[in-house]
Amino acid sequence: MTFTEIINSFKTKLNPSKFMYSLEKEAIFYSESENSTEENNSGENLKSNPSFNSGDNSVNNSNAEKISRNKEVPLIKLTNVWKLYQMGEVEFAALKGINLEIYEGEFLVILGPSGSGKSTMMNLLGCLDIPSKGTVYLNSKDISKLDESELAIIRGQMIGFIFQSFNLLPTLNTEENVLLPLEFQEEDRQIARQKASYLLEIVGLSEKKKNLPSQLSGGQRQRVAIARSLAVNPPIILADEPTGNLDSKTGDYILDFLDGLNKREGKTIIIVTHDLELIKYATRVVYIRDGEIEKIEARTKDEPGTENEPNLN
Amino acid sequence: MRNSTYLKMGLNMLVHSKLRSWLTIIGIVIGVGSVIGIVSLGDAMEANVQSKLAEMDLTNIVISPGYTKASSNLHGGPPPGMGGGSSTDSELTDDDIDALQGMDSIQYIAGSISGREEVKYAGETATLSITGVDPQVWKYMTSLKTQSGRLLEPADRYVAVIGSSVASETYDQDIGVNQVITINNKSVRVVGVLEEEGMGDDSKIYMPIDGAVELIEDAKEDVYDSITVKAKSEDLIDELTEDIEKKLMVSRHIVQEDDKDFSVIASKSMAESVTEMMSSMTLFLGAIAAVSLLVGAVGIANTMFTSVLEKTKEIGTMKAIGAKNRDILMIFLFNSAMVGLVGGILGVILGSFVSSGLQAMMGSDMTGGGGVRFTLMLEGLALAVLIGVISGVVPAYRASKLKPVDALRYE
Ligand SMILES: Nc1ncnc2c1ncn2[C@@H]1O[C@H](COP(=O)(O)OP(=O)(O)OP(=O)(O)O)[C@@H](O)[C@H]1O
Ligand SMILES: [Mg+2]
Repeated sequence: MTFTEIINSFKTKLNPSKFMYSLEKEAIFYSESENSTEENNSGENLKSNPSFNSGDNSVNNSNAEKISRNKEVPLIKLTNVWKLYQMGEVEFAALKGINLEIYEGEFLVILGPSGSGKSTMMNLLGCLDIPSKGTVYLNSKDISKLDESELAIIRGQMIGFIFQSFNLLPTLNTEENVLLPLEFQEEDRQIARQKASYLLEIVGLSEKKKNLPSQLSGGQRQRVAIARSLAVNPPIILADEPTGNLDSKTGDYILDFLDGLNKREGKTIIIVTHDLELIKYATRVVYIRDGEIEKIEARTKDEPGTENEPNLN
Repeated sequence: MRNSTYLKMGLNMLVHSKLRSWLTIIGIVIGVGSVIGIVSLGDAMEANVQSKLAEMDLTNIVISPGYTKASSNLHGGPPPGMGGGSSTDSELTDDDIDALQGMDSIQYIAGSISGREEVKYAGETATLSITGVDPQVWKYMTSLKTQSGRLLEPADRYVAVIGSSVASETYDQDIGVNQVITINNKSVRVVGVLEEEGMGDDSKIYMPIDGAVELIEDAKEDVYDSITVKAKSEDLIDELTEDIEKKLMVSRHIVQEDDKDFSVIASKSMAESVTEMMSSMTLFLGAIAAVSLLVGAVGIANTMFTSVLEKTKEIGTMKAIGAKNRDILMIFLFNSAMVGLVGGILGVILGSFVSSGLQAMMGSDMTGGGGVRFTLMLEGLALAVLIGVISGVVPAYRASKLKPVDALRYE
């Protein structure tokens, strides 16, 4: 099956121990930022944690060599993508011929004013929608050719979503929300619980496992959402205005966390926003306006210097 | 996704559902409750009738004066011994017995009279039904049995066999064998007390017809309120009934059906029509209960539609994090099945109360007095779950078909 190939190829490139390490760092980071007194303990505890990927059969390390660090073949490729919305009699083009290639390990920020088509593009990148015209390739496979359940599998295994409004299930508690994607993947319950508690420890919410979303602050909810997006250890994290509903301090924490995942883990992070502040995390910024790409800017992280890519748009 | 997860998610939805959803469960509760209540009541009544019929002598044919078409079929005319049920001038006399005597299929034939008279015992007076029977053959024709004493013998005259409630309920002081009661100022010795019968037959007094004729005010010698025929076997009943009718038409000089002034009713056909009536009544009440179930189902479907609408965004989220259409479908189906199950459980409880309440109201002699059968409970639960699933199918299907983008955008 084509899509299982895609998934396996993505699944294989992550080294569990590396993931462990970087997440531990994140936990320490978190402890520092919140001035936790358990600073030293958290590192110790995490070392005794079970390997994050234990029991995950879909991981096939033999392919790791072949796929990792593939800078030639884009992870996601959009060629002349149009998205048309039928508004009564008239058609409205939310995206007008987008061409974009996204490579593994990038931290991509899609920047544009309100109504420019960012969320529309995000939906296509996340396999939540298919284009009206043009093609979206995920690892060289056309997503329009996949059926509903194949797309669901791709979303479930390869993409971690973070939404502006958190989108936690209100009737599930913190832990159950994080477990949910693992349930969809039929992960072994024991292992799933270990993963969930590990992730919640990393985002600093071990104490809030039994809280319902309504019993959490906005920042805490977004941290739950991040833990949830990481539950299946997907290679791609898609975030639509992840900090839109948060104060700047919490927002910074969230972004630093994602940045950490990108740097140490090599996860591909795609953030959609209208907030110029966020470009400091980006390795590449896509400016979008009225459904068209205005310009694409490559950046060296944490340095103000910019570098144009003239060949793309 | 695993079934256990569907179960967990469906249960989670149920637990967190709004008061509104719980209210719709009431529809199912009432539906299942009334179905269970009615069916088990019907069962109890039918079982009771069946056991009565099993004891009953089905070889009897009763001839009574007067004729109405309607009553002949459904109610079987006045039951033997009740007498005076139909207002008519016609009488049954010895001539009628003579006309029938000697028919091949008849084993016994006897006339009887009845009336309501004052019966005194130990200073108390009660008006009771007195039935005068032919002591020569009565004990061969009746299916009644005594709990103490004996039935009537040919030589008896001013003696009586009394029903169980006459013996133990009518008077403060119980009446035993060999006690003397006073009927219209005539002393009558009790020779037997009958076993409990039910159906209102327990407050009767049976006497030899010669004695009864003197005690019952408007009774005349050789005139009967009913004539009972006992056939040689049950198979002969239908034919015999017809023959008796023909014979009597001739002997009573009746030419046209319309002028018929007597009715001939086999206890067998009465038994049949009672059973029939019973089951059609159960069916009718069951149908009403089924309608309430239908209303309950529509209620669940309605709630499910609303809850799918309310949960649109959650459905979108679940799809974004990897739920397949099938998963969403199953979660909602499990939820509505559980709504049905909860409704079913409460309904079975309600039904048990309804059934025992109705049975208590109707008295134990109408019903067996038993509780709700275990299999009926299971059937009730299964029915409720089925209704839950059926009414959840369309909403759940619609939920599963939502496009992830649209669902996520829903406010
Ligand atoms: N389902 C739809 N039907 C019709 N028009 C739509 C639909 N979804 C989006 N649009 C239109 O497409 C354009 C792009 O919408 P989109 O949600 O992608 O904007 P955005 O860049 O995410 O804006 P914001 O920053 O405010 O979230 C808008 O003009 C919007 O009105
Ligand atoms: Mg948007």
